[in-house]
Amino acid sequence: MPNKITIWKLRNNNPLRKSYVNNNIKLIEFDALIKITVEMSRYLYPYIREILKSKEDLEKNSVIWKDFNKRLIELIKERFNLDSMRVKKLLNQTENDEIIVKSLLTLSLCISNKGYEKLKNFLFEF
Amino acid sequence: MQNKLSFHQSSVSLDIVGLPDYSNNENKDQISIISQWKLNIVNKPLIEGKIEHLGPIMNAFYIYSNLLIKNEIPIYESELIDIKADNLHIHNIVLKSSKPNVKPLILKIGNSLLSDTINCFDQLNESSKVRIKKTGFSKNIPKKVRIGVFNKENIINFVIPPFIAIFTLILLSSAFIYFHNPIENKEKIEQINSK
Repeated sequence: MPNKITIWKLRNNNPLRKSYVNNNIKLIEFDALIKITVEMSRYLYPYIREILKSKEDLEKNSVIWKDFNKRLIELIKERFNLDSMRVKKLLNQTENDEIIVKSLLTLSLCISNKGYEKLKNFLFEF
Repeated sequence: MQNKLSFHQSSVSLDIVGLPDYSNNENKDQISIISQWKLNIVNKPLIEGKIEHLGPIMNAFYIYSNLLIKNEIPIYESELIDIKADNLHIHNIVLKSSKPNVKPLILKIGNSLLSDTINCFDQLNESSKVRIKKTGFSKNIPKKVRIGVFNKENIINFVIPPFIAIFTLILLSSAFIYFHNPIENKEKIEQINSK
């Protein structure tokens, strides 16, 4: 990745985004994105962990989970194509809990030195 | 003097005690012969067991987490450990003792402790200072997961050699047809009979 702009452009390969452009992402760029994701989840592990933990105890008020969920929905509404069925599913309160928990859990399990291989395997078998 | 190594991840720590294998000229600080292991999860009972139990317990956690992420039914059952999801956030672990009349240890852990535990196991697997013998892996994998482990390459490697062998036999046996002349053989038999 030569610079941040390249990463920013690569995000447009996501078909859920409003600004979706099919640029045919190269394998090397796909690998680079996985490596960045693994590095980010390693760095953010304490936060990811806290978000997961705040949802575990149903009796306690899960403030962290609510804040995270609220911000995620804001970002989805701002940047994703709201006409897409998959985006609608992400915004559905009853359905998105499972998607979010599993995504966070996947990231939290890929923070080891072999996290890159693990995440790649998870994505290929998704 | 035994070596002790600890792997930490947030609320979980894994202690490994053992000796290097001097017969392989290993370093003093290496652990190849594990004599004791302890998995300490904050606010939960201490988990420890026999040396041969560590591998299967680690595999159970790995297989279970894979099932969980891949949207398959998250249930792992074996003679030693059962892991089942209570709901999306809580996992029920039953550790069965190999000793008679000992009640199984039941633990409930959330996603945060599950990921801490697996990250501790990852650290142990990736550590150059500890060598673990991988035992009892394929025995305890549920059928659904086996397909994932024995991927396409493995299946091809398993199926192709017998096919090559069969085709080679056919090819060889068809080559023998050129040496075999049924008319000549008939004449020979007639000659023997006339004698």
